[in-house]
Amino acid sequence: MRRYETTVIVDPDISDDKRNQLSERTKDLIASQGGLFVNADEWGNRKLAYEIKKKPRGYYVCLDFCGTGKVVDEIERNFRIDDKVMKFMTILIDKDVNIDAVKEEMAKAETERVEAAKAEAEKAEAAKAETEKAEAAKAETEKAEAAKTETEKAKKEQAAEKQAAALEAATVSADETSSEETVSDTAETETAEESQTDDIKDGE
Amino acid sequence: MAMQQRYKDRKKRRVYHRRKVCRFCADSSIVVNYKEPRFLKHFITERGKIVPRRISGTCAKHQRTLATAIKRARTIALLPYVGTLDQ
Repeated sequence: MRRYETTVIVDPDISDDKRNQLSERTKDLIASQGGLFVNADEWGNRKLAYEIKKKPRGYYVCLDFCGTGKVVDEIERNFRIDDKVMKFMTILIDKDVNIDAVKEEMAKAETERVEAAKAEAEKAEAAKAETEKAEAAKAETEKAEAAKTETEKAKKEQAAEKQAAALEAATVSADETSSEETVSDTAETETAEESQTDDIKDGE
Repeated sequence: MAMQQRYKDRKKRRVYHRRKVCRFCADSSIVVNYKEPRFLKHFITERGKIVPRRISGTCAKHQRTLATAIKRARTIALLPYVGTLDQ
């Protein structure tokens, strides 16, 4: 079997439904002629280097398939009849290809695609979880801070209360201790004066 | 006398011209593909002609693949037959 690649320029103005219908029909055609459809690569709407059927744009689809010359003939005949197809080109990629190897490759590509999708989904989920976690952490820290401020406030209040109580106690006991305090004050002032006089002596 | 000198200079310069190296041989990772008009654009003139080997310095083998790729790209309207690619 040979491996071919057909690039088709489809009319860009037709709906997606019709385009899908066309690609489905082509796939069926390949299968009915004993070929193996491998992959369809849609490039999308592109600007053409020159106008085809008075149109400056075209929708590119690249079909990759295996088969004999019969498949190619049949596909091209259909493309010629269909007026939705503006232009096409078939090129030979491989003259002799092992069908099992191609099938294996296809399966591999499929699994890879699935895995990639899975990985993507997981990534998205992880990212989501991460953001949620971050948000939760943020909320927690905020909560903790709030609690901290609360406790601080409470402590302050307690301290204030204590102070107030102490003050009250002090005022009560002040009368009793005032005489002692004055005595100690006078003693301090005396020592200070002595040191001053010492300094003066040194200076002389 | 002066003319002769100039002529000599020109002759000399022609002898010492820089040898161009084939891009595709220098970097084997480049694969010529008709689906890449942006890359193939470097090998066509403003008029859309294929640049000859003596100017681009491509080796014979790679010039052949390049020519095929450009012709395929033209067929499927990725490159113009005549004129520039305005994108």
